[in-house]
Amino acid sequence: MTDQPAQSADIAREHLRAAMVRLADGDAQALEQIYDATRVKLFGICLRILGDRKEAEDALQDVYINLWQRADRYDPTRASPISWLATFARNRAIDRLRTGKVRGGAVPVEEAAPLPDEAPLADALLVDAERTAQIHECLGKLDERTRTHISSAFFDGFTYAELAERADVPLGTMKSWIRRGLKRLRTCLEASE
Amino acid sequence: MSTSDTNTPGGKGPQDGAPENGAPENGPENGNALAAAEYALGLLEGDELAAAKARMGDDDGFAWRKVWWDNWFAPLTDNMQGAEPDPAVWDRIAAQIDAANAAPANSDSAEIISITDALSARIRRWQWTAGVTSAAAAVLAAVMIFGSGSDAVQVDEPVIAAAAPAPLVGQVPIGDTGLRLDVTYVPESERLLIGAIGLAADGVHDHELWLVPADGSALQSLGVVKPGGVLVHDLAGDVAANMGDGVQMVLTREPIGGKPDGVDAGPVVAQGALSEV
Repeated sequence: MTDQPAQSADIAREHLRAAMVRLADGDAQALEQIYDATRVKLFGICLRILGDRKEAEDALQDVYINLWQRADRYDPTRASPISWLATFARNRAIDRLRTGKVRGGAVPVEEAAPLPDEAPLADALLVDAERTAQIHECLGKLDERTRTHISSAFFDGFTYAELAERADVPLGTMKSWIRRGLKRLRTCLEASE
Repeated sequence: MSTSDTNTPGGKGPQDGAPENGAPENGPENGNALAAAEYALGLLEGDELAAAKARMGDDDGFAWRKVWWDNWFAPLTDNMQGAEPDPAVWDRIAAQIDAANAAPANSDSAEIISITDALSARIRRWQWTAGVTSAAAAVLAAVMIFGSGSDAVQVDEPVIAAAAPAPLVGQVPIGDTGLRLDVTYVPESERLLIGAIGLAADGVHDHELWLVPADGSALQSLGVVKPGGVLVHDLAGDVAANMGDGVQMVLTREPIGGKPDGVDAGPVVAQGALSEV
């Protein structure tokens, strides 16, 4: 996933950053450009979390409307545009999962909505390769059980309670497994900064 | 320390965990870090989730750590397969933006408020005291626009008596969106303003604001929030009686139109408190 030409990734990122700045300055046209460049990635995220095409499309709409309303929330000193947008989309999808009636991760996404094999555009919009390698390395240092649960929380949007139920362990057990893992993860990530 | 720690049997005290090398923090900061991680991952629900959302608005350390985790987790999204949305999604986005541009802060169902300039000025000072935000300023602007168009404005009427009870103001931060509801209650008229500038309707839900009476009795509705606008209405006497300094409010997600009768309220998605200034 890190084998794309670094230059084209940089250019794509720079275009996106410029569009975000224009949007924050009130240029509504910039939103369409951002949408064109990011919709495939962000829709993929919403679809993965929500497991339902209709819900994911509603979430996607919500993401870009919110972006348009408050583009100034993006802080370029804290995150790259695509990193921020990806987080934003996932957070909105999770919000929808927690507050709506969507079953989300309860439905395996493969069953809910077959995805196209190709991942158009995504290669130009990967999040920073160095950080990607680092988070994978740190996750790789966790024991497999913990890593699986943390990944499942991230990719499927499961809560503590859902993870505990699926693993058939008490809630408190799941919490301490994951917290121990998060603590290690944090130490590992901080050491790399 | 952390509100999310209260019912967590797993614990995260000093006894919890393998010997971590060199993590510089202890106790409370450590709790912050894990709660932020839990929130970033999406593990929380119910009260713990509401508490984490509230902390984003009033705990800078927590908010910073949440973003730290978000930034580290973000690359994992590269492992989520991309997918092409239906072209109609963009059409809906464009239409929603056009509609918003055409009708800024329209307030069709809300009562037009008429207040004196003196009261406007006082409300503005209270809003500022509560913390200047663009949303607060927008609420004020909306109030002033509605007021100026009304025949009922009577600048010379001495509405503010020295002994009039002070208005209550409060803000309800909406998750990590940076947006918030701005709530102003004017006791002398029993009139409540709920500003929701910048918020958009998702077409499938409404949000209802509730007063949490200090005496532990049942929650009372303060109204269904009007996304992108200002809701102004008079409170019923039994609700007004419970308004006061420090009163808690919660925001729930409901079907369109608000909580149906005979059905439990939806999940709490945000919370805040009123304070007398």
